[in-house]
Amino acid sequence: MAPLVYFQILSAALFVIGLYGVLARRSAVLVVMSIELMLNAVNINLIAAASHLEGQGRFLNFDGHIIAIFVITIAAAEIGLALAIILRMYRNRATVDVDEINLMKW
Amino acid sequence: MEWAWLIPVFSFVAFPLIVLFGKPLPGKGAPIAILAIGGGFVLFWVALLGYLNVVPGVNNCFTSSATGVFTCDYRISWFHAGLPGLEDSVELAWGMIIDPLALVMLGMVTFVALMVQIYSLGYMKGDPRFSWYYAYHALFAAAMLTLALADNFLLLYVAWELVGVCSYLLIGFWYERPAARNAAKKAFIVTRLGDVGMLLGILLLWREVGSFSMLDAFEAAHNGVLNQGAATAAGLLLFLGAMGKSAQFPFHVWLPDAMEGPTPVSALIHAATMVAAGVYLVARAYPIFMASGDALLVVAVIGLITALLASTIALASTDLKRILAYSTISHLGLMMLSLGALGYTAALFHLMAHGFSKALLFLGAGSVLHSTEEQDIRNMGGLRKPMPLTAFLFSLGALSLGGIPILAGFWSKDEVLSAVSHNMNPIFIVLALFTALLSALYMARAMFVVFFGPARTHGHRHSHPIHDAQLSMAAPMLLLGVLAAGFGLISFNWPGSYQGIGSFLFFKEHEGFHITWWIAIVSTLLALAAFFAAYLVYVRQRISLEGARTAFAPLIRVVENKYYMDHLYQWLVDRVVLVASAAIALVDRAVVNDVGVNGPAEVVGRVGIAMRRHVTGHLYSYALVMTLGLIGLAIFWWLRAG
Repeated sequence: MAPLVYFQILSAALFVIGLYGVLARRSAVLVVMSIELMLNAVNINLIAAASHLEGQGRFLNFDGHIIAIFVITIAAAEIGLALAIILRMYRNRATVDVDEINLMKW
Repeated sequence: MEWAWLIPVFSFVAFPLIVLFGKPLPGKGAPIAILAIGGGFVLFWVALLGYLNVVPGVNNCFTSSATGVFTCDYRISWFHAGLPGLEDSVELAWGMIIDPLALVMLGMVTFVALMVQIYSLGYMKGDPRFSWYYAYHALFAAAMLTLALADNFLLLYVAWELVGVCSYLLIGFWYERPAARNAAKKAFIVTRLGDVGMLLGILLLWREVGSFSMLDAFEAAHNGVLNQGAATAAGLLLFLGAMGKSAQFPFHVWLPDAMEGPTPVSALIHAATMVAAGVYLVARAYPIFMASGDALLVVAVIGLITALLASTIALASTDLKRILAYSTISHLGLMMLSLGALGYTAALFHLMAHGFSKALLFLGAGSVLHSTEEQDIRNMGGLRKPMPLTAFLFSLGALSLGGIPILAGFWSKDEVLSAVSHNMNPIFIVLALFTALLSALYMARAMFVVFFGPARTHGHRHSHPIHDAQLSMAAPMLLLGVLAAGFGLISFNWPGSYQGIGSFLFFKEHEGFHITWWIAIVSTLLALAAFFAAYLVYVRQRISLEGARTAFAPLIRVVENKYYMDHLYQWLVDRVVLVASAAIALVDRAVVNDVGVNGPAEVVGRVGIAMRRHVTGHLYSYALVMTLGLIGLAIFWWLRAG
């Protein structure tokens, strides 16, 4: 099995790409997709760490798996909600550009 | 005697009855008030007989060690604060005290109120607010009787304020007249000033004694639990209230203005009963004053100043009712002086004798006013012819108050002077005798100018002929006249068991009837001289006062302006009170409001405005802050872990 650090590098790269997407993309849909990337980066990290512990002979520890499954579940709910919001946003304002949507301020 | 509390209750019940149902009834509700007070008068006799026949040790009656008199105390618990029996629990009681002092006040108030209410039937006839007049009278009688019966300071205070309200309502009864409105306000505010002191005194007593009960307070004053300093403070504070109510210098300014009310009101409230409440209070709280000693001296000095001041103004006044008002102030001052000079019996005897005589004088003046619609004695004269009965009775009252022997005022005034000469510095008796002379002079002046002087018909605005008092007005005057003439006779020892008033109404020890001969002779001579001089001046017109008037013009102007007391108070209010309150209002607005209340709100608002700039509404800026915060946290944990 590949060393743990490879997975961690992959995870970090994926996370940073996602972060860049969240900060830099203007389309709300792409922002949401970037958030999904970040969540998956976290999942890779979790699973990698869990299987690494397993490889060291510590069985019956499913913490990483369980949390990963939680994250997936919540991500599914989140994406449903986010897409619903984006859809309403588009219906109301005919745009999904997050720069245009700046009503939540003083 | 346990039923004596019904005496005020009758009138208390009469008040709402008259207000609610009075107008359509025959007599517009007046009979209800008269029946109520008449019932009170009857019950007073029942209570008096009960008191005289009761045996010690039963029926809540005992001989009080603080006052030395046989006292009956009945009370019911009103409410407890705190658990009963605990040290800091408070019990408030409703109660009545029956002792000679209370009985004297009850008798006097019920009798004079009854007389005045009957008199008012004629005097107030046809007034549009006739029912209200009687309703106020009933309320006043109830409050005044409660005041006389109260066995604790709290109840006394309530009744005290209630009579003040009735006084206010009745002075301002003809509120269409601006003068009446202003006089009512003035009376209420000036007496309230004193009442603040009285309330403080009551609270001080409560702190020192732990009870509002008068008997407890007197016991504490008697056996020294109340130390001298506290007794002096409490006595002086209570005396402030008495000064306000009894129109003592410097609170005397309201009483002359109170003459704007209907004349029977002046007779009842502002001559015989309510203004005597101050004297009653000092007499009632006498153990406290005795424990202090200094407070008693203050009472005497204030009384003397008041008596002198008011009698000089009475001499310069030209308004018939105001002459009587200043005379009332002066005599109240004499009562205070007497109390201060340990003349307890004398003061209360004078209170009664003066009350009857002055009520008679006011009713007589009311009869004159009713008939001539004229209040200025310069426009009156020779009224003896058209109204002989009024002239006779008014003269009786004037001679009595002037101190002509055998009439009531002579005996009581003599007792007062005698007490002053025994117990005070000689300067007091000299000034008191001078006051007695002045008092005879102004009484003689009023009596001779109005009834005996040359008739002055000019200035009569009325068309109908001057008539004497009708029956409903004459009868009460006659009864009061009998008392003004003969009341003094109760002061002697009579054959049989009666030992004079001093054996009934006394403080600590019985006082037999005593007459100080030189004082009796001097005061009689002074009174006779005064009446004779006034006769020569105003009736015979042998002596002209023009020379004296020009010689003493500046002095007379000062007296006619009432020693500029009203001006002084006006100046005080305008320049000191209003300026000070404007300054305080400024502090309130600038410091309390702007800095204290609006200041923090302003600061929070400005900070909010400054800080809301970061809320841009752009998603990426929020995300950036979140990211940076996360990185910051990560570095923090990393450093901490490392």
